[in-house]
Amino acid sequence: MRRWIAIAAKEVRDALRDRRTLAVMMLTSVLAGPLVLLALSNMLASLEARAERRVVVVDGIEHAPSLRNHFERNTYSVQPAPARWQQLLRESRLGDPVLVVGADFSQKLRDGEFITLQLVSHSANRQAESAVPRVRRLVSSFGAERGNLQLALRGVSPDSLSVLDVDEIDLASARARAARLFGIVPLFVLMAMLYGALGMAIDTTAGERERGSLEPLLGTPVPRSAIVLGKWIAAGGVSLLIAAASVAGFVPTQALLGESMQAMFRFGLREAMLFMLILAPLGLAFSALLLAVAAGARSVREAQAACAVLMLLAGLLPLASVFSDSGESDADLRWPVLAQQVLMSRVLRGDTLQGTDFALPLLACTAIAGLALARVARVYLRPAG
Amino acid sequence: MIEFEGVRKQYRQRCGWRSRPLLAVDGVSLRAGDGAITALLGPNGAGKTTCLRMLCGLTLPDAGRVLVDGIDAAGDAIAARRRVGLLSDARGLYPRMTARENIVYFGALHGMSREAAEVRCEALARPLELGPLLDRRTEGFSQGERMKTALARALVHDPGNVVLDEPTNGLDVQSTRALRELLRNLRAQECSDGDGPTPRRICILFCSHLMDEVERLCDHVVLIARGRVLAGGTVGQIRDAARAGTLEEAYLRLTGAAGAAE
Repeated sequence: MRRWIAIAAKEVRDALRDRRTLAVMMLTSVLAGPLVLLALSNMLASLEARAERRVVVVDGIEHAPSLRNHFERNTYSVQPAPARWQQLLRESRLGDPVLVVGADFSQKLRDGEFITLQLVSHSANRQAESAVPRVRRLVSSFGAERGNLQLALRGVSPDSLSVLDVDEIDLASARARAARLFGIVPLFVLMAMLYGALGMAIDTTAGERERGSLEPLLGTPVPRSAIVLGKWIAAGGVSLLIAAASVAGFVPTQALLGESMQAMFRFGLREAMLFMLILAPLGLAFSALLLAVAAGARSVREAQAACAVLMLLAGLLPLASVFSDSGESDADLRWPVLAQQVLMSRVLRGDTLQGTDFALPLLACTAIAGLALARVARVYLRPAG
Repeated sequence: MIEFEGVRKQYRQRCGWRSRPLLAVDGVSLRAGDGAITALLGPNGAGKTTCLRMLCGLTLPDAGRVLVDGIDAAGDAIAARRRVGLLSDARGLYPRMTARENIVYFGALHGMSREAAEVRCEALARPLELGPLLDRRTEGFSQGERMKTALARALVHDPGNVVLDEPTNGLDVQSTRALRELLRNLRAQECSDGDGPTPRRICILFCSHLMDEVERLCDHVVLIARGRVLAGGTVGQIRDAARAGTLEEAYLRLTGAAGAAE
């Protein structure tokens, strides 16, 4: 057996024996993403159900029989606002905004005076907030109808008031729109993979130094390159295993999603394979980088502190596209982690990926892995002490 | 055979933000022959561990040469390491692996097949009384059990040169006696890694600061302090050179004289 294989096999076996850590890592990486997806699905289903609810909650509807008539003609049922509705809205116990109608509504309408209604919501009450545009449209249509009637009575065509109209057309497919919602999925997979590499990289380098087993290992006639290669393959392999588990977790989750979510979130074997193809170079490069940082540390604590900085950077990079006004661009592909986030989002949108899309991230990952492994070898070659 | 020829090693020692040079080994020359136990005896910080690290190519000498069976440990470190079995001070076992796995793993690192390493592991388990421990994880091992496992790991590839760094550290009386007996047996044994067709005897380099151990066990003693060799020879020769009744007295007299000379 080649010696680097013996080292990699030992490191993987050693990591698999640490069952508690492994179980926690696998559970969080496999379950966290799908659970968030299910929570999203439930939230969407509830918003959809509310959007479909044809109910208007009105305080003072008895003052506006014509408005009630308009709502009912549009197949909406009118519910009077409950007592203490403001408090209920604040506490998110009322899921509809409340339309407040003044006692002088009918009088003003008869006199042709301008009427102002209040539509009360609470910005922290998501259900009520989501229904605001629907009620606003309904009330506006009442105003437009009354205005048009008055113009028609005076022999003026209602069209003379508006010379143009705009039809909004969104070029994004339903899947592309959904991808914005599911942007969290690549982030989960990425972070699961990177955290998978973290423990392994620290244990096989700084952990080995702290246990005192590094010196006997370096005292064997194994070339430093084989030691570095074995440790790298082990750390990279475990991180990819966790990434694969995390990716695989999303495939069966689809069956548990609501119908509309299922239509938007298509994640089959093809998407899973593409995800792994995108993630593999980063998993290996990031493992090398963590090894390089941890190998130079004198203790596990020092390695953890240094690696935490790397993890923070890796966690912040995908957020660059969130904070950027210009949105996603090909320039993002130059940055590891961000590039993988962008490519995975494209897979979720259903975009076709070209070979060139993979070239730049692959080049960046290869360069990082090469430099990092050279650094690990130098640390192990450097006369210690 | 292990030889040090005018070996010198200087480190940079950190003092706050600055660092200053520290001469750890200053022109050490010594020879540890085959079929003998040679002690490297000296107080803490004398340069013993630095000498052993140079022997295994873990650190490079600034000047001089360290030869293992005539091979320069700095020039051809891999060939030199192949001929050395190292028992380091920290022992450094993998706690989640069994004693057998620890030993067989090091066999594989020395290029042995799994089967050959398993056979050798069983053979070493008998004299070391490791049998009941072989298939237990090493995380709960006592100091003595850890030392025995680490020693079996160092001997798995049947090396011609065995280097032991403070092997009796933390051991109880029974374990110390058992180790002493084992090393005497090892000295009488032959190994197969010599260049010639005939097997050769094993060279044992024993690093310690315990007079009693050295006096009872070693054929040849090299007294080292502040990175320099103060005296070399049998226990009797060192006593005579220092005009002392015991090795301890000779040690104190010689190391004290070295300190005064500084």
